[in-house]
This record gives sequence, structure tokens and C-alpha cells, in this order.
Amino acid sequence: MNRATFTRTSIFLISGLLIVFLASIFIGRYPAPPWLPPRLLVEDQLARQLVLNLRLPRLITALLLGMTLSASGSVLQMVFRNPLVEPGFLGVSQGAAFGAAVSILWLNRHPLVIELSATFFGLLALALSYFLSNRIRYGGWVLRLILSGVAVSALFSAGVGILKYIADPLTELPELTFWLLGGLYSVTWRDLVFVLPFALAGLFTAYLMRWRVNLLSLNDDTAFSLGASLTRERIILLTVTISATAALTAISGVIGWVGLIIPHISRRLFGASAEKSIPAAMLLGGGFTIIADDLARTMLAGEIPLGILTSAIGAGLFIYLMISIGIKVRRDG
Amino acid sequence: MDNILALEQVYFRYGEDDPKVLSDLSLDIPGSKVTAILGPNGTGKTTLLHILLGLLKPYNGEVRIAGKPHREYSKRTLSQTIGLVPQFESIPFNFSVFEYVLLGRSPYLKPFQLPGEEDILITEDALVSAGISHLSQKAVTEISGGERQLVHISRVLAQQTRILLLDEPTAHLDLENQNRILTLLKGMANKGVTAVLTTHDPNAAIFAADHFVLMNKGKIAAQGEINQVITPENLTEIYRTPIRVEKTNGFTMVVMDKNQ
Repeated sequence: MNRATFTRTSIFLISGLLIVFLASIFIGRYPAPPWLPPRLLVEDQLARQLVLNLRLPRLITALLLGMTLSASGSVLQMVFRNPLVEPGFLGVSQGAAFGAAVSILWLNRHPLVIELSATFFGLLALALSYFLSNRIRYGGWVLRLILSGVAVSALFSAGVGILKYIADPLTELPELTFWLLGGLYSVTWRDLVFVLPFALAGLFTAYLMRWRVNLLSLNDDTAFSLGASLTRERIILLTVTISATAALTAISGVIGWVGLIIPHISRRLFGASAEKSIPAAMLLGGGFTIIADDLARTMLAGEIPLGILTSAIGAGLFIYLMISIGIKVRRDG
Repeated sequence: MDNILALEQVYFRYGEDDPKVLSDLSLDIPGSKVTAILGPNGTGKTTLLHILLGLLKPYNGEVRIAGKPHREYSKRTLSQTIGLVPQFESIPFNFSVFEYVLLGRSPYLKPFQLPGEEDILITEDALVSAGISHLSQKAVTEISGGERQLVHISRVLAQQTRILLLDEPTAHLDLENQNRILTLLKGMANKGVTAVLTTHDPNAAIFAADHFVLMNKGKIAAQGEINQVITPENLTEIYRTPIRVEKTNGFTMVVMDKNQ
């Protein structure tokens, strides 16, 4: 796809995202599902309050969450040269949930403290997965990294389980249970304000460094010969994208599959080069998550946890892509 | 200054306790020529290329490019000076040939910069030079081994470096593709580019090179012109198998000697 075509497609995608965003302001169960008539915004004080204080922060968070998960997924897949990784697969999401739980139980419930703790444990989980995969003695790089990620994820989710067990069932447990399901129903403007800097830093860095991401997806010796500072550029990219993911996980809970499936779809549509596939993945991921959240809050009388919906849709799409057009994983390396 | 690349008493090992991979290696590589580094598998040829590239640092000795020590080059200048075609390059994503070759322009881009019109023109030229402009929009994962090697070479051509390092560029290729690649390298040398290739196949080296380096067990066994290096004695000793060197109509050919 050449640049002119891509620019046109981007404008189309941005407009689509804008329409989804604006429409989502009116989608919901007040006053009756599935739709709030726009005139009520003028007439009904409660409707106005609801849109301003509940739906808007929630929508913006869904947008940032989808964009961030997709950007991190793209970056992780290319930096690890492995099309099958996403933040959840490398233990980052479970690590972040564990960090958030530790903070709720023992540290502090201030959003910033929860986010920092989530970020710390998210990065720790990534580092553990990485080092473990280098120590495994069999299998190719793709398999080793997936295995390590599964083990580290299990470790942290066991940790979360223990924390749940010792948590106070009346005060702490409900808040903890929320991490495992994932959802945006409790998001406030205050949460959003604390997440925003992390999310924007991650998104901007991934966007600005997208050409470098291409280089990092090559063999080490080739990337070096093309002027890449391998260690430094990898650390910068991983730190900012994982921090963004972990900070958002601290307010949304574990939202799986978006970071795996959206980068695949984006590369399928716009080609492998991160120059186009990263910005496109951000737009697609933002739209996907907003739509999933719309469904989460309108389909049933009670809210469906967002993480369950994204997993169901994501895994379904993944299976479809695998059997219909094939997701190529090279066995070497 | 004739020798564009020079190594002086270079020693290298991968870890403190590991055995030496290269020891007391001194080497002069002439500019605007094709130099072939020959030797059996596992003799340190790839390590030597990585040292010339600057990816590995010798624990003793010095590498000089155009008379200046390696450490005096910035990363950016270095990547504008030396290009590499590695022996194995796995590309796990479906880049198009064009997108992949365009990556060769990276040394000229600032950290957040994207390639511009000029980079696109240079990339198109590189594809034409390698004779693969018809593959431009194909995915790199979907072309043949020979085509893929030409794609890698196009990428270093787009990089526009004065020095090309190629690790076993003709391994696993049929004769037609070997011929294409080696002829392309000879053409580059005529235009002033210095090409250094490793190979375990003496005949490929003879076909393409002007200067020969014979390596054995991390040391230089011989270096110089064809008559000094490609001798039955040298090759028999290093490949540990009886070898004859035949000359007919001005062509030199290396064959295994069945009669011994």
C-alpha cells in the first residue's frame, strides 16, 4: 500500500473511529436500552450528568485502552520477532493485576499508587518471561517465549488468587475480583487523569519510533548494521509501552486478546511495515474496544465484564484468521 | 591508502572462560576489490565479519577502517560505511520486498524520521541493480531462496555503503543464482565498492574474488593473490582432504582428488 492510499485509508479509519465514539455517547441502557435520544441531553438533567460523568470518561478510557493494547501488542510482536505475543501472553497483564492487588491490600488505594505498583509488577513479569525464555533449553524462540509467558502468568495469577483468599471479603475482595474479570464500569475522570500521561507517553513513543520498530524486528546483526542501538531502543520501547499497558490495566482489569488480534488484522490490511501497521492498529484497536464496551454495557440487563467479551470476540477472530488465511509463524530462530 | 580494512593482532573469544575464536589475526583488505575469506565450517569466518562490522569487540588488537580505528566512528557513520548480508536472516513478518529493501535507508534517517522521496528512488534503483524490481510488491516470505538473497543484497545496495560484508552469500544457491550474485558483486567492485565475502566453496571464491584470505582454526593460513593462496598444499591441509588445483584456458578450478 503506497503512502497516498494509506493517507486516504487513515482518514477513513479516523472518521470511522470518530463516528463510533460519538455514537457510543448515546448507546446504553438509560433511559431505555439501547439508546439515549440526543434531545434528552438538553431536556434531562440526569442524562446530561450520566453522559458527562460516567460515559465520557469511560469512553475515553476504552479508546486509550484499545489503542494502547494494540500498540503494545504490535511493538512486542515485532521487538520479540514473534507474531504470537501480546501483553497478556508475556505475563504483563497478570503481573499488573497482581501489582494492583498488592497496592489495594497493603499499600494505598490512591489511583497513582495502584498504577505505579501495577506498572512495576508488569515490567517485572515481562523481564521474568524474557529471562526464563533464554534459559529454556529446547524449542525455538517463539515456543520458548510463549511457554515462559504462560508460566509467569500462572505464577502471578496464583499470587492474585492468594491475595484474594486473604483479602477482607467485605471491603477488599469485591475490588480484587474486578481485576480478574476486567471492566470499565467504575472509571472516573480522576482515574483517567492519572492514566493519561502513561498512555500518551506509550502511544506517542510507539508512533514516533515506528520506523525503528521495523529495524528491531530484523536479526540482531542486520539491525546493528543498519544503525540500531539494540539494547537502548528495545528498553525504551518496551518500558513505555508496558508502562502504558500496566497503568491502564490498573483501572480496567485484565483485558485479553486485543493486543494479539488487532496487530494481526492491521498487518493483514496494511502490510507488515510498522510505519503503517502501528498507527492503523491504534485506530482499529480503539474502535474495537469501544464497540466491545458498548456491547458490554447494553447486551444484558447487568453489565458483562469487558475482558470476557474481548476474549470471546478476540479468540473467535483468531481462530477464524488461523484456519482461513493462516497466521504465519516461522519455525526457525 | 590502498587497504580500506585492516585488522592488527586481533584476539577474540565470546566469554572470559571460553576458548579463543580468533587469535593473533592480522589482515589487510584492499579497497574497490572483492575479497574472499575461505575456510572450513566453524573456523571463525562469521566472527571475523562481526568484528569488521563492529558488532563484536576484540579483547585485544585493533580494527581500522580507511586508516581510522573503529572506535572513532559514530554508530551512524559506521552504518553509512559498512553494510552486512548475514548468512541467516529470518524475517518473521510479511514485509513486501520493497518495504524490506527500504529499511536499508535507515542509517540516513533521524530517530523519528520516515524515509522520503529520495530514499524511495534509491530503493527502486537498488532493486533494478539486483534485477528484482519485478518482485517489489511480493512478500519476502513468499519468494525463493535465490530471490531472497538478491533481496538482502538490494537492501545493502540501498544502504549505499563503501564496504559490503557478505556471509556465505552463495550457500544453498543453484549455479544460476550463484552466478548472478557473484557477478553483481564484481560489478559493484568495479564501481569502487569493497566487498568482503566468506565462503567455504573455493570455486565460488575464485569466480568472484581478486584477493584471497585463507582461514584455519581462528588464524590466517594465507592471504594474497590467487596463486599465493589457492594452492593444492594450502587447501589440502586446511580442508583435510586431498585437493587438486586445475588450470585450463586461464581458469582455475579446485577439485577433490579421487586418485589419492
